[in-house]
Amino acid sequence: MKRMQPRQNNLGPRGWVWAGRYQMERYLYVLHRVTGLGLLLFGVIHLIMTTFFRIGDEDMWESTISVLHNPVLKVGAYLVAAGFVFHALNGLRLILQEFGFALGRPSPPVYPYKDALRKRRPWTVGMIGVIVALSAVLLYDFVSGGW
Amino acid sequence: MRATRFHLLHIVTAVLIAVFLGIHMVRQHLDALLYDSEDPSSWASMIDRASSGLWAALYIALLAVALYHALYGLRGIILEVVPSPRANRIVTWSLIVVGLAAFGWGTYVPVHLLGS
Repeated sequence: MKRMQPRQNNLGPRGWVWAGRYQMERYLYVLHRVTGLGLLLFGVIHLIMTTFFRIGDEDMWESTISVLHNPVLKVGAYLVAAGFVFHALNGLRLILQEFGFALGRPSPPVYPYKDALRKRRPWTVGMIGVIVALSAVLLYDFVSGGW
Repeated sequence: MRATRFHLLHIVTAVLIAVFLGIHMVRQHLDALLYDSEDPSSWASMIDRASSGLWAALYIALLAVALYHALYGLRGIILEVVPSPRANRIVTWSLIVVGLAAFGWGTYVPVHLLGS
C-alpha cells in the first residue's frame, strides 16, 4: 500500500528570506520576531540607562542623553520606534486572528476557494498602511529634532 | 492547562503594553504635537515625572508587563531549539530569575527617586 507523504512545506532557514507559498503573512511573522528581539535588546539598554545613570546627578544624566543624540544612535532609536509600531499593530492582528474577531462568518468551501488568509488580506493591508503612516509621523518627529 | 494560561497572560500583557507604552511614547516623542513643552529627555522634565507617584506607577506597571511579555516571547523562541524537557526547565527558571532581578532593580529606582 502506498504511504501518503506529508506535504513538503518546511522551508527551513530559507523561509526567513523567502516565504514561498505562505506569502505576506510569513514575512510579517519573521519581522514580528526580529522586531520583538530588537525591542527586548532596546529594553535592556533602556532599563540600564534610565536606572544606573538616573541614580547619578544631572551632569551624568545630561551626558548620557547627549551620547544618545549621536546620529547613528538616533537612527537606531528611530528603528526601535518603527519596530514598536510594527510589533504592536501586527500583534493586534495576531490577537484578532487568534480569537477569531473580525474574520467574518465561516462559509462552506465552494470552488473557487476563498480561504481565511485571503479574506482578511484587506485588513492586513490596512494595518500595514497604519504602520507606514505612524512610522512617517515618528520619522518626522525624529528628523525635526524631537527626541 | 497552565501553558494556556501563561499564553493568555502573554496576550493580556501585550494589550497592556500597547496602552502603557503608547502613553510613554506619546509623552516622550509626540509631545510637540500635543502641547509646547520643554525637552522631555531633559533632567528637569525627568525629575518632574520622577517625583510624581502616577508616573512612577505607570513605569513600574509597564516594566512588569513588558518584562513578562518579552521574556515569555524569548522563552518561546529559545524552546524551539532546546532539545530536552530538562533544558526547557533550566531556560524557564533562568528567565524567571532574570526577570525578577530586573523587576526588583527597575522598581527600586523610581521608588527611591520618588522621595528625592
